[in-house]
Amino acid sequence: MKMAWKEMKKFKLRYLILGFIVFLISILTMSISGLANGLSDDNASLIKHMPDGTFYMSEDAEDNYSFSAIENEQEEALAATDENYTLFSIQMGEINNADDKKFSTAFVTSDGGDYFPNVDDGEIILDRSLEDEGFSVGDKVTNGLIEDDLTISGFVDGQKFSHTEAGFINEADFQEMYRTDAFQVGFTEGEADVEGLTNYSNSDFLNTIPSYSAEQMSLNMIIVFLYVISALLFAIFFYMINVQKMSTFGILKAIGVKQSSLFVMMWAQMLFITVISLIPAIAISLIINAVAPEGMPFFLPTETIIFAVVAFIVIGFVGATISGLQIRKAEPLQAINQGGM
Amino acid sequence: MALFELTNIDKAVKNGNREEKILNDVDLTLNEGELTALTGPSGSGKSTLLTIAACLQNKTNGSISFKGKKISEKNDGSIRKLRAEKFGFVFQHAHLVPFLTVGEQLALMLDTANVKLSKEDKNNKINKILQAVDMYKHKNSYPENLSGGERQRAAIARAIIHDPELLFADEPTASIDSKRSEEVMALIKRLSQDLGITVLMVTHDMDMLEYADRRIEMKDGQITKG
Repeated sequence: MKMAWKEMKKFKLRYLILGFIVFLISILTMSISGLANGLSDDNASLIKHMPDGTFYMSEDAEDNYSFSAIENEQEEALAATDENYTLFSIQMGEINNADDKKFSTAFVTSDGGDYFPNVDDGEIILDRSLEDEGFSVGDKVTNGLIEDDLTISGFVDGQKFSHTEAGFINEADFQEMYRTDAFQVGFTEGEADVEGLTNYSNSDFLNTIPSYSAEQMSLNMIIVFLYVISALLFAIFFYMINVQKMSTFGILKAIGVKQSSLFVMMWAQMLFITVISLIPAIAISLIINAVAPEGMPFFLPTETIIFAVVAFIVIGFVGATISGLQIRKAEPLQAINQGGM
Repeated sequence: MALFELTNIDKAVKNGNREEKILNDVDLTLNEGELTALTGPSGSGKSTLLTIAACLQNKTNGSISFKGKKISEKNDGSIRKLRAEKFGFVFQHAHLVPFLTVGEQLALMLDTANVKLSKEDKNNKINKILQAVDMYKHKNSYPENLSGGERQRAAIARAIIHDPELLFADEPTASIDSKRSEEVMALIKRLSQDLGITVLMVTHDMDMLEYADRRIEMKDGQITKG
C-alpha cells in the first residue's frame, strides 16, 4: 500500500491523466443513466410506481394492452387467487381547457383497488405537471368522447404513461368514452395462472409499452459501452504502466518482494484512482439531478449511483488484474540483465 | 566453516536443436565471512553460477546447500523467503526502485525481509547503514538525482540493511569509474569484515581482486583454479 501511494506521488501526471479520464467516463455514464431513468419515469411512472407483482393481459392481445379485454370469468379467477387484485384500463386521448386548448392525456380507470386514485363520476385527477400548464382544482375540462365536462378534483405526483400525463377518471366515464365495459389489464401482488391470460412481471409489462424498450435499450446500450470502454481503459493504462515497470517488478522479485504484494500495489492504485475520480463525478451528477430543467427528464436515484460505483470498481479491478498478469511474467534475471537506474 | 555449497552444478540451454552446456559439473564452497571473487573471461559461466547460487535461475543438475540444508529442492515461496531474509544482492547496475527515496528503498527491504523492529529502531538502523556507506545526506533523494557511484552505494546499503548472511555481487563496479570502483569495493570489503557477511562476487576487473580473500577462476563452464 505504501509503495502504491509513493509511486502515485512520484508519477503524479500519469495517474492524474487516468483519474481525469475515469472522471469523464463516469460522469458521462451517470448522466446517461440519469437520463435513462428520467425517460423511463417519463414514459411509464404510472406502472413503475406500482409494487412488484404480476400483470395480466388476454392471450390474444399479443402483448398490446390496447387489444386486451379481461372477461368476467377471468376476473373471478383472479379474485379467487388474490382478493386484493386490481383491474385497470389505459387509453390515450386528450383534454381541452377552458380556452379549448388540447392536452394529450393517458386516461386511466380502475375498479377501485388501492393502486390508483379513486375518482367520482364526472371528476378527473391529473398528473401534477399539468398544474404548470394552468390547470387548477375545480377547473372543468372537456373531451369530445364524453358529453359532460369533467371537473378536476386533484393532482397526483409522477403519474405518466407513454410520455403523457395520466388523467384518472371514473369507470363509468371511461365506459362512455371508449364504449367498453371490460378492463384491459389485471394486477396482483402474487402470481396466478388464469386460463386465457398471459402473465407479465413488472419489467416485462413495461417492455410492452410502445417505445419503452426501444428507448431504454438504446440508452442502456450506450451505458454498457461506457462500462466496456472503462474496463478497456483500465486494462490498457495499467498494461502500459506495467510494461514500463517490468524491470522494477523483476528487481523487486529478485530481492524477495512477494508477487501478491505487487498485485496489491496495483489494486490499491486502481481503487484510489477510481474512488477519487468518482467523488466529483457523483457530485456533479447530483447537481445536474437537482438543477435539471423541467423539460429534461433526469432522475438519478441512490441505487443507480451505488450500482455505478460498484460497477466501476469491479471493472477497474478486472481491467487492472488482466493487465497485471504481466507481473507474473516479470523475470528477476531478465530485469538484472536489462540494466537500469 | 562452509556456509554455502554448490555441488555438481550443470546448466544447459537449448540453442536451436542442440544443447549447449554453460556450466559443467561445478563444485563451489563458500566459507563464512569470506569474500570470494569469481573471475574469468566473458562467457565462462561466472554470472550464471552466481545467479544459480542466488536462486535467481534454475540449474539443470546438482544441489545447493545453505548452512547444511539443501535449498535446491525447496518450493518457490521458501526460496523467495530465503532470498528476502538471508541473501543480499548487488548487481552491475544499482536497480533502485525509481519512485522510492534512498531511505524508502531501505525501509522496503526491511519490510520484505520481515525484520521485526519498531518504527524508531528501523529508522535508526537505516540511518546507521546510510552513514556507513556515506549516503546519509542522500536519504531523501530519489535515484534519478544520484550519480552512478551514489546509486551503487545506495544499492549496497539496500543489500545489507537486513543483515543478510550471504551477499551476491554481480560485477558491482562495472558501471562506475575506477575511483568509485575502488570506493565501492573497499566498502563491500569493510562491511563484509565488520558485519561478518559472506560475499560471492563476480568480477572481470583484475584491480578489484586485491579485496578478495579467495579467488576462483572459471573457463568454459568449469572452475579451473581456486
